Amino acid sequence: MSLIPAIGRVFLSFLASTGRLAMFAGVSVSHIFRPPFYPHLLLRQIIEIGYYSLPVVGLTAVFTGMVLALQSYTGFARFNAEGAVATVVVLSITRELAPVLTGLMVAGRIGAAMAAEIGTMRVTEQIDALSTLATNPYKYLIAPRLLAALIMLPCCVLIADIIGVYGGYLVAVHKLDFNPAVYLKNSWQFLELVDVISGLVKAGVFGFLIALMGCYHGFYSKGGAQGVGSATTNAVVSASILILGFNYLITEAFFSQ
Amino acid sequence: MNGRPVKIALRGLTKSFGKKHVLRDLDLDIYEGESIAVIGASGTGKSVLLKNIVGILTPDSGSIKIDGEEVTGLSGNARDRVNRKLGMLFQGAALFDSLPLWENVGFGLMSAHGVSRADARIAAIERLRQVGLDEDSADRFPADISAGAQKRVGLARAIATEPEILFFDEPTTGIDPIMGDVIDKLIVKSVKELGATALTISHDMDSARRIADKIAMIHEGKIAWVGDVAKIDNSGNEIVDQFIHGRVDGPMSASLLGTPAA
Ligand SMILES: Nc1ncnc2c1ncn2[C@@H]1O[C@H](COP(=O)(O)OP(=O)(O)O)[C@@H](O)[C@H]1O
Ligand SMILES: [Mg+2]
Repeated sequence: MSLIPAIGRVFLSFLASTGRLAMFAGVSVSHIFRPPFYPHLLLRQIIEIGYYSLPVVGLTAVFTGMVLALQSYTGFARFNAEGAVATVVVLSITRELAPVLTGLMVAGRIGAAMAAEIGTMRVTEQIDALSTLATNPYKYLIAPRLLAALIMLPCCVLIADIIGVYGGYLVAVHKLDFNPAVYLKNSWQFLELVDVISGLVKAGVFGFLIALMGCYHGFYSKGGAQGVGSATTNAVVSASILILGFNYLITEAFFSQ
Repeated sequence: MNGRPVKIALRGLTKSFGKKHVLRDLDLDIYEGESIAVIGASGTGKSVLLKNIVGILTPDSGSIKIDGEEVTGLSGNARDRVNRKLGMLFQGAALFDSLPLWENVGFGLMSAHGVSRADARIAAIERLRQVGLDEDSADRFPADISAGAQKRVGLARAIATEPEILFFDEPTTGIDPIMGDVIDKLIVKSVKELGATALTISHDMDSARRIADKIAMIHEGKIAWVGDVAKIDNSGNEIVDQFIHGRVDGPMSASLLGTPAA
């Protein structure tokens, strides 16, 4: 009896929040290009997102590369294809694992921090104070974060590519007794530029999504400490899901003929 | 009044949150150079009124004119241009907790008036001194100072750009009477020195009397009475009488009991 109106309400509120998100993204992106600019804020976010994420990104990549070499070796040994280990490691890392795992780790670190910081500023009226000081909150708070994440995630992923491949090399050479020169040659031989590029494109998109979710949920948080808490959770969960979804879409755009 | 021009003109201002009608067709004129206090019970929409004027909230209908210019619905650069004329002290101070005190005070100068960091620091330290904080406090952070000191820094931030219009949202609520007295005096002094138009929100009658030349009483979303401070004791208005004498029985009580205070 009241089911259809209830479904209608859920659907309408879904449309409303999608529209609000699209507006938020549009306004924020437009402020990336319009002066005044705040270079020191951009630099601070670049350091926060890029530099301070390196330990997490590096550790994730090295262990992933190591386990990948081990797993593919034990699998391929069953049909005498051990020679493919190097290729599998380098392709998996550059195309999929470095961007996705880096994205998820950074979502947990940066997305949560952004939502908490901006959410706290919202509930303590600091964002309102910005606008009474004739300073646009989109330009001052959101644009630098979006831009910094968009720039720095590809940098992080490039580093993760190198560290991940090196992790695979370590296991292959020191544990599985591969010949170092042959392993490296196999790594290079089948790697194409598009493999790396597709991973970096993914990273840029993921970076944007992470910052967008962190800022959006923070910006619209309400209701004190509890509201900030749920904004943080929502930022991480929605960024993670979007990363996995967009990962599929971008992979299909690059590699399906 | 005295032939002075109207600085802020509110006409038919209406704002609801869902079914809750906070402002209902509110009219008010604020003349240039006058200091007006808006009084009323908690949760009657005093802060909402202020937030509509400074553009944090958008009214459902009605008109807000500042210097004769319609400002409802302005956004982006147009809003920032209008907001350069004003300064606001928030109820909870709303200092930027990631910035040291001097950067809080100098924020408007640096961000919206193109003043260099070095000059802004000098100006900010001078403002901090005016509100009774010494130079050593300039590099401390908002979390490290008391609520009373935070309000004083908020006041310094509001006046730092020497705005034409000043808004103070409950400047003395939640701090001890002595500090409250200090802040009232600072407000009067700042408003005089800047020659600014000032709107102070209060639910403390003593504080309102000290700060303002004129008082407006807000009740059920409208201005129920407005007049000079000297006339408030003989206003002939039941609502004002009930409020200034703090009586439980009277015309205010019916609406208050139905309205949870905020
Ligand atoms: N952003 C908002 N969303 C929903 N309700 C609000 C909002 N801001 C204020 N209100 C409601 O409006 C009423 C007036 O609030 P306010 O102006 O803060 O009162 P006060 O006169 O004490 O400053 C309160 O009942 C409050 O719950
Ligand atoms: Mg209030």
